Amino acid sequence: MKVDVVLFATLAKYQPDGAGGRHPRTFDLAEGATIGDVIAMLGLPDEPRVIFVNSRHADEGDALSEGDRLAIFPPVAGG
Amino acid sequence: MRDILRVDMSTGAISKEPVSAGWARYGGRALTSAIVFKEVPAKADPLGAENKIVFAPGLLGGTSAPNGGRLSVGTKSPLTGGLKESNAGGQAAHALGRLGIAAIVVEGKPVDPSARYMLVIEADGSAKLERVDAWAGMGNYALADAIKATRPADDRYATITIGPAGEMMLKAAGVAVSDPKNYPNRFAGRGGTGAVMGSKGLKAIVVSDKGLAYTEHADKEAFTAAVKKFANALNTHAVTGTALPTYGTNVLANIINEAGGYPTRNFSSGQFEGVEKISGETMREVTLERGGNVKHGCHTGCVIQCSRYWVDKDGHYKTKGVEYENVWSLGADCGIDDLDAIAELDRTCSDLGLDTIEMGATLAVYMDSGKIAFGDGAAALAALKEVGTGSDLGKMIGSGAEVTGKALGVAHIPVVKHQALPAYDPRPIQGIGVTYATSTQGADHTAGYSITANVLAVGGTVDPLKPDGQAALSQGLQIATGMLDALGLCIFVAFAVLDLPEAFEAIHEMAEAHTGLKWDADALMQLGKETLTYERLFNDHAGFTPADDRLPAFFYTVALPPHDAVFTVTDEDLDSVYSFVPETAAALGIS
Repeated sequence: MKVDVVLFATLAKYQPDGAGGRHPRTFDLAEGATIGDVIAMLGLPDEPRVIFVNSRHADEGDALSEGDRLAIFPPVAGG
Repeated sequence: MRDILRVDMSTGAISKEPVSAGWARYGGRALTSAIVFKEVPAKADPLGAENKIVFAPGLLGGTSAPNGGRLSVGTKSPLTGGLKESNAGGQAAHALGRLGIAAIVVEGKPVDPSARYMLVIEADGSAKLERVDAWAGMGNYALADAIKATRPADDRYATITIGPAGEMMLKAAGVAVSDPKNYPNRFAGRGGTGAVMGSKGLKAIVVSDKGLAYTEHADKEAFTAAVKKFANALNTHAVTGTALPTYGTNVLANIINEAGGYPTRNFSSGQFEGVEKISGETMREVTLERGGNVKHGCHTGCVIQCSRYWVDKDGHYKTKGVEYENVWSLGADCGIDDLDAIAELDRTCSDLGLDTIEMGATLAVYMDSGKIAFGDGAAALAALKEVGTGSDLGKMIGSGAEVTGKALGVAHIPVVKHQALPAYDPRPIQGIGVTYATSTQGADHTAGYSITANVLAVGGTVDPLKPDGQAALSQGLQIATGMLDALGLCIFVAFAVLDLPEAFEAIHEMAEAHTGLKWDADALMQLGKETLTYERLFNDHAGFTPADDRLPAFFYTVALPPHDAVFTVTDEDLDSVYSFVPETAAALGIS
């Protein structure tokens, strides 16, 4: 299944193509793959993060589906 | 000993009096709100002689408390009609604190409306009013240069100034405070504080603290230890130690957009297709390419360092690194995706002395009327510049989103208590909607920043799309914010305080070591409750009712994409947020 993955702020550099930037990359994942599987594949640091799938908050154990948009942020805030 | 400096603009008299014993724990917002509650009739004309404008450093102002340099500006708001407190960073709060000045109270009104005055407070504590009629109509940046020319070359001073919008007494006029380089770019922007200053004929306040050291403490050793503990917590937390110093406040653009809560084109969508072009990450990259500064504090003693400077294509200073709220208001809310265009709008707001949130929301409403097109940065700038000319169009724009929207028949006017909503749509982020609706300040994100648990997973999590738990979340944050504003701490410390128990402990340890009074967690929360109680009671006396604690109707009925969300928190929940007021008022002996 195909899933779009987008990484923000300090995480952008973990995109496998090394090009950084906040544009989505499409990955071909095994059926039933979880968010945690993607995090492991990308080698994201073991630090707190905020995860969205299709603009809703999600957890690392959640399974992904065809066409999902997975967005991962380090802890950020402002205002 | 802390003094109140009282300046009577009717007579020119200046006097000092000690802060009353009952207010020994009050600084910043607690003091400005208590003074306005006690001294200004709730039904007073905000631009008349009966109103007062109060400038107060926090209780920790003038000390080395990390991020302790906020300046509160309090008055009866000409925009909301309620008790207003708007606070800013910059250098003025510490300067006043070092001088032992707990508050400047400006009252009365000069007989001659064309008179302009500058209040000059010297480092020896002397104060005088000077006539500066020649500065009438001057923008904040030219004014900063004019003030500099009056000061000794080796002086260290801070300024509090208004631009032409304040002199014209427009409801969106704010008060500018100088930053460490004396740029007038930090703002107590909201609620028309600049208009009240203008109504008093007060163009500028200059405070010199040359040669003055930090103020003394009841227990210096304990204070130093608490400062170290607090600074360590701020440096450790991922938000205050990494994200904010690296990207600035605009790091929020992408995550609020991802959550579907980034109000776009006058609150008609929750996502902006141009967000990447105006995001905090892009701002950092462009600023570095142009040789601009991407990390400094807006005031001495800031350890978070989220400020930066935006420079033009030739590397010249244009304005402060535009903050998240203003990139949103002057950008996404207007459909503008060009950071240089946004920076020009921000600079113009700063120079004219206008609230950037109110102005962006107003320009978006103006665009929604069809007078100019969404996304047209040049047309937006031309409309904004009208404010400086005093034309009818300029006066309408400078009066804010509600006046503009009503004049032009716009259906969706995003205001609460006549004040424009900031950069989070309350439909997919319902917790912030509770704060907008119920805050004493009108729509104000800083009053109770529910974005923390709703979106950012700071201080726990509360589902942003559901009404459950939002009233309790907002209430707790509003009380805590009242406390931080009273101490003069930047609210960004809350990101660490909500997650790290030692950061919260350090706050009452600093307060106790500084004042010599007993402080603990309960005393901190009591300070927050008392602050809000003065404001809430004043607003009651001014005529506010529960009907004023609601969002505009369209947030309840018009679904916002992408979540197709509407605001669903019940009126009963909204009316529960200020349930602590009767008990707190009784304990204070006020009604």
